[in-house]
Amino acid sequence: MKLLGLMLKNIRRNWIASILASAATIMLVLMVTLVWSVLSFLDQVTAEKSKDLKAIITERWQIPSQMPYSYAATLTEGAARTDDDIRPIDSMTWSFYGGTTDIKNRTLDNTLFAFAMEPQKLRTMMDDLDSLPPDQAAELDAAIAKMDENRLGTIVGLDRLEALGKRVGDRIKLFGINYRGIDLELEIVGTFPRGRYDKSAVIHRDYLNAAVDAWPREHNGEEHPLAQKSLNLVWIKVPDSDAFQKVADQISSSPYYSSPAVKCETASSGIGSFLDAYRDLIWGMRYLLAPACLATVAVVMSIAIGIGVRKRQMELAVMKVLGFRPRQILIMVLGESLLLGTAAGLISSWATWYLVNNLLGGIPFPIAFFPSFMIDDGALWWGPAVGGGAALLGSVWPAWSACRVKVSEVFSKVT
Amino acid sequence: MGHDNTILRVTDVHKYFRRGSERVDVLSGLNLEVGEGEFFGLMGPSGSGKTTLLNLIAGLDVPSEGEVWVGSNCISRMSESQLATWRTRNIGFVFQFYHLLPVLSAFENVELPLLLLPLSAGQRRQQVETALDLVGLKDRMWHRPGQLSGGQQQRVGIARAIVTDPLLIVADEPTGDLDAKSAVEILDLLEELRSGLEKTIIMVTHDPRAARRCDRVRHLDKGQVVDGSALQGEHVEEHVG
Ligand SMILES: Nc1ncnc2c1ncn2[C@@H]1O[C@H](COP(=O)(O)OP(=O)(O)OP(=O)(O)O)[C@@H](O)[C@H]1O
Ligand SMILES: [Mg+2]
Repeated sequence: MKLLGLMLKNIRRNWIASILASAATIMLVLMVTLVWSVLSFLDQVTAEKSKDLKAIITERWQIPSQMPYSYAATLTEGAARTDDDIRPIDSMTWSFYGGTTDIKNRTLDNTLFAFAMEPQKLRTMMDDLDSLPPDQAAELDAAIAKMDENRLGTIVGLDRLEALGKRVGDRIKLFGINYRGIDLELEIVGTFPRGRYDKSAVIHRDYLNAAVDAWPREHNGEEHPLAQKSLNLVWIKVPDSDAFQKVADQISSSPYYSSPAVKCETASSGIGSFLDAYRDLIWGMRYLLAPACLATVAVVMSIAIGIGVRKRQMELAVMKVLGFRPRQILIMVLGESLLLGTAAGLISSWATWYLVNNLLGGIPFPIAFFPSFMIDDGALWWGPAVGGGAALLGSVWPAWSACRVKVSEVFSKVT
Repeated sequence: MGHDNTILRVTDVHKYFRRGSERVDVLSGLNLEVGEGEFFGLMGPSGSGKTTLLNLIAGLDVPSEGEVWVGSNCISRMSESQLATWRTRNIGFVFQFYHLLPVLSAFENVELPLLLLPLSAGQRRQQVETALDLVGLKDRMWHRPGQLSGGQQQRVGIARAIVTDPLLIVADEPTGDLDAKSAVEILDLLEELRSGLEKTIIMVTHDPRAARRCDRVRHLDKGQVVDGSALQGEHVEEHVG
């Protein structure tokens, strides 16, 4: 009721205490906002996509993963043997080929790292490329069609293309870096839409395989050192997490993959195991840092409001004389700090959200392989809630002592 | 005393405080009656228990023994929250140091007790304006206490005390902090409330000049009310002048 106006006036009057309390709250809510945003971001990326999830199959014990290409045929089937076994909806295989246009004078600019893969899978298995707007999709489809026709074809990201100083239609010769001695003549048939693949390149899987297979003919029947290690990753797509679990079991129980052994993970379980290394840090942020910030807000508020209440003891006593009930005094004091805390939390989280998401475009935070993260939209409501809640908590004691003020004692001290 | 229209009756009241293990007896077997429309003065040395008695009368504290009746209510048996509600309608308290809320304007200070009653904003405004008019401060309505002189602040304090039209006006040394001229103005105002509005006023004072304005003066001594000296006689002369 009318108490609200009185609360606002009291906040305005004790403005130094109010500003100090809100400044502290603003700082701490900022901390909490950042911490919780990182946490909720990590939660999001490790949360399992429930439909159509992608799983990745790699060598179990070694990084980088290097499997014999002979594994590909069965792994893309999810190691299914009987009709009852689950088969993936889709799949692709990746081999990494690094080459340079100038073997004597290698620089970053003249070096190209490419995935050797099935061109058709570019549109069904690659993140983002499976959901392009129609015009970009048509352009990419045209380039893929050219690669299908001509296995020398390569699709190169725009940044890479610029670094090489080449254009679509140009031919390049790459001297193998990891596939030492295997040089590839390539013809640039297209580029990727701007974005995620600006620094990537794709070559035809058949072309690399043929080159590896041809090696013994010119080298006295000896295989290329990477001949039995030319498959780096297999991607499969499964309908749901049950299917994933079954396929993962099929693969791990299969006798084919003994040397080397393989493992099957979803993207998020892969990230999850990567994040295991940071588990203590994340645990600390969630259960120590964030609560510590909240406790500090509560303590600061408690002190600020407590000082205010002590200074106003006489006034509160007068209000009691006029007939204000203890409950109303309690509500007034609690309300003042709730208002202050909520306002501070609001300012803090909204400003952080706007600054980070709209002006900075994310905060660089070197955790796992995420270059930066955004402030969670939820911050817009839990920022004020955190500020208000902590302030409310901190003002319980001062408010209680305010409403317990004994009028007769206050006045007998004065007179 | 034998007032037919007794509005305050204090019977055999004891009040003691505890200081550690020690018991401090402030009031011991005190009896007092005040009639409706009376301007009653209470004097006594510092520490004699005047404020303690006023607190009991105003329902700010309860007696250790005995009863306090105001009108038809025995307030010494009420709970703290009953007393709070009762105070709003029945007691107007005037303080020595005014005790206006510094954040509020004169108008808002006077309005404060009305917020506790079921009144519309319009009704509140009307009552506040009437009260401020009565104390002659209608033109200072929007001033803050800090922008008013001591005498003016006390007049706002009196407006706040009468705005709910209470049964009793209780004033604890209302002129104690004022210069002589302002004190006279405040006493004139209180007298006007008594004669014009037939208010019952109970005033504690140290000042004999203030006491002379009262219809009746009693002294507090050794925890009991005793008759005053010849103040009653002088009062008549003073009243005319
Ligand atoms: N709440 C309390 N606790 C303990 N002692 C108290 C309390 N209130 C009053 N006293 C004591 O009771 C006695 C009377 O105090 P009171 O304030 O009523 O005196 P007073 O007559 O109003 O004095 P003054 O003229 O100085 O205002 C004093 O000794 C005081 O210390
Ligand atoms: Mg006193």
